[in-house]
Amino acid sequence: MPKQITTFEEFIRHILKLVLWVVLLTPLFILPIYYVFYTLFGTSFADLFSLTTKPDQLMAFVGKLMATEPTKTLFQLTTFPGFTFAAIFASVFMIWVERKFIAKIQLRVGPEYAGRFEGILQNFADLFKLLFKEMLIPNSVDKAVFISIPLALMFIAGSLLALVPLGPSTYIADPSVGAVLVFAIVSFTPLVVMLAGWSSNNKYSLIGSLRALHQMVAYEIPMLLSVVGVVVLAGSLDLLKIVYAQSGIWFIVFQPLGAITFFICVLAELERIPFDLPEADSELVAGWQTEYGGMNFGIFQLATYIKFYALAGIFTTFFLGGWYGPGFLPPEAWFILKTFIVMLAMMFPRAVMPRVRLDVLLRGGWSKLMLLSFVNLFIALLVVSLGLYHIGGL
Amino acid sequence: MVDATDAAFVALAIVSVGGAIAALEAKEIIYGAVGLAASFFGVASLFFLLDSPFVAVFQITVYVGAVAVLVLFTVMLVREGRWFGDSVGPTASVAGLITVAALVISLVSSFFAAGLSNASEQASAPSFVDIGKLLTGQFAPVLEILALVLAASVLGALTLAKVDPGAKAQAANERERS
Repeated sequence: MPKQITTFEEFIRHILKLVLWVVLLTPLFILPIYYVFYTLFGTSFADLFSLTTKPDQLMAFVGKLMATEPTKTLFQLTTFPGFTFAAIFASVFMIWVERKFIAKIQLRVGPEYAGRFEGILQNFADLFKLLFKEMLIPNSVDKAVFISIPLALMFIAGSLLALVPLGPSTYIADPSVGAVLVFAIVSFTPLVVMLAGWSSNNKYSLIGSLRALHQMVAYEIPMLLSVVGVVVLAGSLDLLKIVYAQSGIWFIVFQPLGAITFFICVLAELERIPFDLPEADSELVAGWQTEYGGMNFGIFQLATYIKFYALAGIFTTFFLGGWYGPGFLPPEAWFILKTFIVMLAMMFPRAVMPRVRLDVLLRGGWSKLMLLSFVNLFIALLVVSLGLYHIGGL
Repeated sequence: MVDATDAAFVALAIVSVGGAIAALEAKEIIYGAVGLAASFFGVASLFFLLDSPFVAVFQITVYVGAVAVLVLFTVMLVREGRWFGDSVGPTASVAGLITVAALVISLVSSFFAAGLSNASEQASAPSFVDIGKLLTGQFAPVLEILALVLAASVLGALTLAKVDPGAKAQAANERERS
């Protein structure tokens, strides 16, 4: 508890202490920022303030920033194909769409009051609720691991996001092994979920994380194998080259089985209904997320929906021709439209399906989907060897 | 002269070796498993640094994604500490050091014999297409033997894990009777 201020003298002393801290901290933080700013952009803060009165010079300065290298990458990373866009599109817009969509299917109304139009501001209301809640950390948890779990989940979601190519020049990273890197990043999730369940020191969390582990390990392998057909057709592991190879025909035409397998595996990977056994709110409270409340839970939701968007985007990249479409819309718009449709299709089971049983889930993953993905690979090889499709484009 | 690559190499080496040490020495066995995962991840990043992203990505997928998770899973089921509590006597540690020294010497000498000492920086990294061609051409027997070993181990695991249906039914009968 902070000491309560009762007399005027204490009040003055308190103010003086605050002033002292400000005087101490200002050179420590402001000066380095100033120097970094100066070396990066070649102008100082003061010049920027004087620029605000001259709109044309300001616009020229902003244009120069967008074109030069460090700020361009920074902008892409933080704003347009990167984090802010994904956070707004996936977690603010798509959660609202999901609520309304599922509500309409189930003959309900959904969010209605927040915001003038159909409760569109409901998510902001929820965000503020979560922000103002206390972040509870139970006494018997393993603190170091417990606190780092939300960060680790955001790391996974963010790195997946960096791989999604929205357009021929709108991407953050273009590694030469992008198609496998997706699975390398996804394979971190069971580790993190396992640690979350263990560190919470709670039986529901542990059971939930064990279920998540079973499910993710079972569905990661068919997910990887279902993409091998696409890689055979495109002749590359580079996500951009996979999209370029689909300039004529989308791969879903040759690889429908692969697309179905990948779709189901993504649903299982995201723990979405009908594969939401790890959360199973009617049996396990909230599964491995039980002990996380307040903004920690908010970060979990944000990471899940960003991962949802990124994996839907990767589905679009692999099977739906990425940014290709008729020319009246820019490529990025086509990509976002396709991703939106894929996300809607992934939301649909949530409205109509019950949760599957654990043995059905495991048998489906290990035997049926595995078999399907092998059949799909043979179809791809057949298509290539019959000469219907030449590797790397028509 | 230290450049960014050297700094990254030192940082990643610290992560891999430190993770390995943590895996051996951590009091809490879960931290040991996390250290093992960190060590694997550090080694994978070293592969990235060495310009072979394909190997790096599979190092992450297989070791961090599967092996470390399996270790963590096993460790979580065996939290008794029965098998991990015993400290090692002086004879065992000396024997361990000698084994490690012999292993390191043999590995290093075979690497140098294979031409590591005159490796040039300019050699372009082999792509995964080259690796695939080598594996299906010159080294096809190796691939097949590895596949056979893996199949044999999977069959062995299945045989060990298989529950005899007759014994199960008998147990159920006995439970009903009692």
